[in-house]
Amino acid sequence: MTEKPKSVRNLASGRRELREVIETCDLIERRKYNPFFLDVKLGVETLRQYFPIWEEFKDHCLDAHALNRLSEVVRLQNTQLKFQSSALYAEPEFMSKKFQRMSEKRLAEVFLQSWHPIAELEQLTNETVSTALDYWNLLLPIQERWKRREYVRGKNPEVADSGILTGLGIHGEDFGKRLAGLWSELRRIHDVDQKPVEYWRFVKGPTHQETVQRAYFVSFLVTYGYAKLQVEGDQITLLPQEHPSNKPLEGGVSFPIPIPREV
Amino acid sequence: MEQPETKSFYSDKLKRAIHLLLFHRGKMPGAKEWELKEKVGKNYVQVLEQLNQLLSELDLEIKKVTERSSGEPTAEGIPAPLEEARYYVTLKGSLGLKEAKMIGWRIDNLAALSGGIAYIVAKQGKAPREDVEKVIALKYGRWKATTLVDIFLRTGYLEEDDAGVVSLGWRTKSEVDLPSLMTKMAETKL
Repeated sequence: MTEKPKSVRNLASGRRELREVIETCDLIERRKYNPFFLDVKLGVETLRQYFPIWEEFKDHCLDAHALNRLSEVVRLQNTQLKFQSSALYAEPEFMSKKFQRMSEKRLAEVFLQSWHPIAELEQLTNETVSTALDYWNLLLPIQERWKRREYVRGKNPEVADSGILTGLGIHGEDFGKRLAGLWSELRRIHDVDQKPVEYWRFVKGPTHQETVQRAYFVSFLVTYGYAKLQVEGDQITLLPQEHPSNKPLEGGVSFPIPIPREV
Repeated sequence: MEQPETKSFYSDKLKRAIHLLLFHRGKMPGAKEWELKEKVGKNYVQVLEQLNQLLSELDLEIKKVTERSSGEPTAEGIPAPLEEARYYVTLKGSLGLKEAKMIGWRIDNLAALSGGIAYIVAKQGKAPREDVEKVIALKYGRWKATTLVDIFLRTGYLEEDDAGVVSLGWRTKSEVDLPSLMTKMAETKL
């Protein structure tokens, strides 16, 4: 009776360990780690340890996959040793430091001395003609394009005094109230969801004008440390900060976010 | 008095070979080995040798680069070899900074390319894109680094796979003398 739960636990931990081995091997293959980062002997020992308890077909597949990944790491270790004995060998960190410290001109000169560009004559080919035709067929008539340009152009820039800015709600007391309101709203959503708030979900207003205004205020929340902007690939999220610094963050970078009309 | 016999190819074979090598037909410059065999003849290697002699006077040379093929069968249904050779005409010597600028290269782009390639070579030819960007960002900042890597990918100096791993592109393999670049980078005194 007491044996079974133990074997179930072993199975689960065995699967987890094998997945970890596979994951590490994959990271090594993607050059995240040095091939010698993994102790292959220990990896094989792990496979050997769990092999007798595998029951299902998928466990055996996992075992075979892990063995295959380990053999790939051994191959990479072999390549690494060969590479270290070749003329091309240099430590990546050393190269990165050299690049950082060498002058731009010297780097360009070094490259030019080792660069023998291809001599070729550009000309029209079937492929370039086909690409050009596709472009031409998709191109709107010039009148349509001018119409669109007129629509986008808007008014010329004008001088705005503090009165106008206050009227627009982007200056003065209203401005502070609006910022505080937006910060509370962000914190409320975050408290409910318990995860960073999606930027576009938060910024989107009933009209395009409102969306632009909210994005404008959010930029202040981020600059003054009321919220943290997180960017992962295409995903932009906002994380409210409990204790804002109330002054522009040092070492911050600009992050332009274009607001398309369809948002 | 007998003249030593020198094998000289008909000029039309030389012309055909140089046309194939120089004129851009598909996506990539140069000519594949089978194209040369088909259009120039079985003795295309000797034709290329003779052409090379002529080109060397103009500071140009013919370079053979072996690349991986798609492995798709040919029109006759014969399985294509996994590796195929492509021939290019490249500059034999090297360009100066002014000449490089004249053909449209910016000094900062050349410097970033030099650093990016050297870093990838040091990582045995492959590195995660984010790592390459981080190295370039040390000198040019994050935003410019991303743009520069995009440029290098577009121009064929780097390649990126689905997992976001960057490797040396076909153009680097054809144009850059990697041992020379690595030696010069390592030798440079700071």
